[in-house]
Parts: sequence; structure tokens; C-alpha cells
Amino acid sequence: MPNASSPTAAPAPTRSGRPTAARVARIAGLLALVAVVLLFPSLAPDPFILSVGVVILSYAVLATSWNLVGGFTGYISLGHAAYSGLGGYATALLILRTGLDPWLALIAGGLIVALIAIPVGIASLRVRGASFVIVSIALVLILQLTFQSWHDFTGGSGGLRVPRPFGTEVLRPEQHERFFYLHAVLLALALLTWWAIERSRLGAGLKAIREDEDKAQALGVPTFAYKLTALVTSAFFTALGGGLYALWFGYLDPIFQFSILVGTYMVLMSLLGGVRSLFGPLLGAVVVGYAVEVFKSQYGDTQLHLVATGVLLGLVVLFMPDGVIPALTSFVNRRRRAASIREVSAEELANQREEAAR
Amino acid sequence: MTGSQGSVATQDLTKSFGGVRAIDGASVAFKEGEINALIGPNGSGKTTFFNCVTGMIRPDAGTVTYQDRDVTGLPPHRIARSGIGRSFQLCRVFPRLTVLENVLVAVQPHGLLQRLRGSRNAADVGRARELLARVGIDHLEHAEARDISYGQQKLLELAGVLMGDPHTIMLDEPAGGVNPALVERIADLVRELNAEGRTFIIVEHNMELVMGLSDHVVVFDRGRPIAQGTPAVVQDDPLVLEAYLGV
Repeated sequence: MPNASSPTAAPAPTRSGRPTAARVARIAGLLALVAVVLLFPSLAPDPFILSVGVVILSYAVLATSWNLVGGFTGYISLGHAAYSGLGGYATALLILRTGLDPWLALIAGGLIVALIAIPVGIASLRVRGASFVIVSIALVLILQLTFQSWHDFTGGSGGLRVPRPFGTEVLRPEQHERFFYLHAVLLALALLTWWAIERSRLGAGLKAIREDEDKAQALGVPTFAYKLTALVTSAFFTALGGGLYALWFGYLDPIFQFSILVGTYMVLMSLLGGVRSLFGPLLGAVVVGYAVEVFKSQYGDTQLHLVATGVLLGLVVLFMPDGVIPALTSFVNRRRRAASIREVSAEELANQREEAAR
Repeated sequence: MTGSQGSVATQDLTKSFGGVRAIDGASVAFKEGEINALIGPNGSGKTTFFNCVTGMIRPDAGTVTYQDRDVTGLPPHRIARSGIGRSFQLCRVFPRLTVLENVLVAVQPHGLLQRLRGSRNAADVGRARELLARVGIDHLEHAEARDISYGQQKLLELAGVLMGDPHTIMLDEPAGGVNPALVERIADLVRELNAEGRTFIIVEHNMELVMGLSDHVVVFDRGRPIAQGTPAVVQDDPLVLEAYLGV
């Protein structure tokens, strides 16, 4: 799978017009990925598998959105379910209370949650490390309690039925297919945003914050504004993910919307695939999402899927602490040349510069 | 960059940690366009002074001015933008970014569109490569910073500081933990950069380096300056001898 951030890939980080082997492989991988996504609904043997596909894509959207702040800044939010949950409720409540068009409600919901993320970020991004993690958990717990007890407005612990955006004449399998593609579009937008930020000066500053925040600030990076930008962007996409899922699933329950587990999955998936890689969270979502669904269907409503997820995470942290994609990339690079750092010959250096100057 | 302006100056700067007065009413004025040295025994408050000037910590009392503007309590990135670059005592680089990316971090112009522009554009990369070549580590540009030697990391840190094109450069122990040949190279770089008009303020324990390099020396003891002047004057000052040797 292509790896946009490719911190370990030594060759050709400079952009040149000529196709290199790595570039061709990257484009081929990307096309294969698009083909798989486009063909999945027609290849899925039954509606259940298609619905699993929707769930996995939804996880991929959430994990990729989480990675906009977690991967870039290293601020690990375990409470990102706050934003997906709020996105779901905002979308549903806008439709129910104001009669807004469902798709406009989805976008408006995302914008509202992005606005809410501003004061949350101003308060929580002042603390680093473990303190930030705890603040992020506190937020989601507070929201869970609020949405459970505020019956008049949120439907309370009884839940909230979300009106379907497509009419009743659209049958279940057709619904799944439409929402599969809608999720794919949202995922593509989230990936595109991550990619654009990664190559930008903003991205360079954000990655510097992840590595050493004080040092970044001493070099002129406005760290607080950058962290807030990343968090608000992340909250926006997470809320869109939550809202789109709500429109598909048709029902919201505070217990599941504002659950630590959902936030933890976003972190697990990103870590598993690799937080420094564009496609890391997507890969993690496919692996973890698929595993969770298999465990649920095989062992019913037991907690076995949690145990299995825990074991999986343990293995990844032990053997691939940077995630699967960086581990594979460095494995391939090691096979291609002996040393990880290669002294570049004068001639190669001259060539690279020539390419870069073009 | 006019010579009439003052460089970094402090008035009655004070900073306590718990009961310890790390900086105790220090009033210092560094000289514009010169290589200034800040020396003193361990624990005399040199690094705390650096941190107060560069906004990393907020002083309890007193003021910091730069080019006759009050910059007391400004956040570090604003101070960096006003033209002060700094290195850290135990050299700090971004370990998991490549050497080239490390330098590119320092390009943070004003304006959202400017900041959303590609970081690896030809102009920025070209300038970063020039600076890496200048400090002599351009052959390592694709290596991750954690994989290069400590001495090379020091040079990388300097290249990163230079990328911000600071008028004033504050170095915290540039010769600490590096071999003599590299110390010479760093000294030469400092002289060259000074000749281009950049002001230096250097904290250093290597006396040979300090005396050979600097135009103006400020001696700290217990959080305040006890002597200042040319290297020759400071060297013979009885207070300085007492602070250093305890005689």
C-alpha cells in the first residue's frame, strides 16, 4: 500500500516529473484501492457482508479523522467519540427539530461540532501527555451523562430515531450500497485533507509539535494555533462520520454514541496501521473492524471481541510499535539495500538536485 | 539591523523556582552586531536567563527588550519571529523527521494560504539544502535526525535556527559534548555568520572557545551579572576568579 508520509523511505522524496518505480507502485496501489472500494458492493455475496463493509468504512472515516490530530500532533484523544456522537445527534436533531434537508443537516452538524471543538480545544490543548488523554475521556463521559438525562431534547437514554434520508421505496440492500459509497466519498475527502496537510508548512509544523513541542515553538511554529487547527479539522470530519453513520443506522443511543470504546477503536486502528502514514488508519480499520465483526457474529454478544482486540494491540505494540505500514515499508527498504542510512554519492546528489530544481 | 538599536537587554529580570532565585534582578545589555558570551558557574542562571528571553518561561518580574521593543512574556514563536533564534543546551532536533524536514520546519510565514503551501517547494528546499551544505551535513538530508551523530545533530540544530533567518542567535553550549575539530568548525561558522551582521549570545563553559571567539563577555553568578567587558578585562576580574575558583 502506498505510504504518503514515508519517513523511512530514503529514495526520491523530491517531486519530479519523471515516473520512478516507487511512484508507479504508489499510483498502482492507489488505483487498486479505488477499484476494490468501487467493486465491493457488487462483489459482496449478501446484504450482511455489505453492511459490514459500511461499518468498516465508517470506522475508516473516524480513524482517519482522528489521525488528523493524533497522528500529526501526537496528542492522543481517547474521547473522540464525543465528536462523532455530537455529529450524529446534531444531524438527527437538526432534521427532527428544524426539518432541514438531511444532507444539509449533516454538513451543518459537522460545522456546529467544529465550532464546539474550538472552546474544547482551547481548554484541553493546554495540557500535554497523560493529562490531555484524561481530559479527552472526561469530555465524552460528561456528554454521555448529559445526553442520557436530557430527555426533552435528546430523547434521553431511550434513544433517538433518525429519519431516513432515502424513502421507504429504497430497500435495505440498496440503502447499504448507497451509504457504502457515501462513506467512501467522505473517506476520500478525509484522506485528501490529511495528505494536503502532510505536505504543507502547517503539516511540517504539526509534525514538529509531535516530536518536540518546545523546540517547534522556538523555531517560530505557533504551536497553539496549529494544534487547535488540527483538532477542529479532525472534529469536523469525525462529526461528519458520526452523522453519516447515524443517517444509515437510523437510531442513536447515548451509551453507544458517547462510548469510550468507540474512541479507543479509533486510536487502536490508527496505531495498528501507523499514525504517520496516510493509509495507516484505513488499514487498521479494515483489520480491526473486520475482526470485531467476525468475533461478534461468531461468539454473539460476549466480550471476546474485546479480548481479541486487546491481544492484537499488544502484539502490534510489541513487534510493530510504529504500526503495520511503517514496519512493512522498512522491511522492504531493508531488503533493497543493506543499511538504513545510505551515504549518497556526489553524482546521485547532483541528480536529485537537478530533479528538484525542475 | 541598524547599529543604533539595542540588542537583547533585560531590566531587573527575576525568576524563582520554589525558594530558589534562579535569576535575581539581572540587568544586562548585550551588544548589537557582536559575539556576546554569557558565562558563569553551573547553576548561575544562564539557561534560565535564555529561557526567559526566548519566552520559554515567563519571568516573575522585570522586562526583556529586543531592539528597544518590550518583548517580556511574549510566546516563544513570537519572539522567534521578532528575529531571535536559539539552540538548546542538550541539542534538540526532531528525531523522527528527516534532516531536510527538520530544517523546513522553520519556514512558517504569516497567512493561512502561505502556511497551507507545500513545505517541500523548490525555493524552501533549495534554501534548506544551502544551509545544510553550509554546516556540512547536506549528504545526510534523507536520514532521520535520530540516526545521525550527536555532533551532526548540533550542526543540524544550527541549520534549523538559520532557516528562520534570525538577526540574533542564542546558542546554549554549542561546544558541549562535541569533539575539538567540530568545536573549531562551529567557531568558524559563528565568526562567518557574525561577519554577515548577525549578533550572537553564547552560553559556553569552554573558556578557550569563549575567550577566542567573543567580543563581549558577561559573567553571571547566583542569577545576576557580576562582571562584563572584553575577554581580557573579565579574565582578570577578582570577582570572576572568586566565583569560578572560590578563592
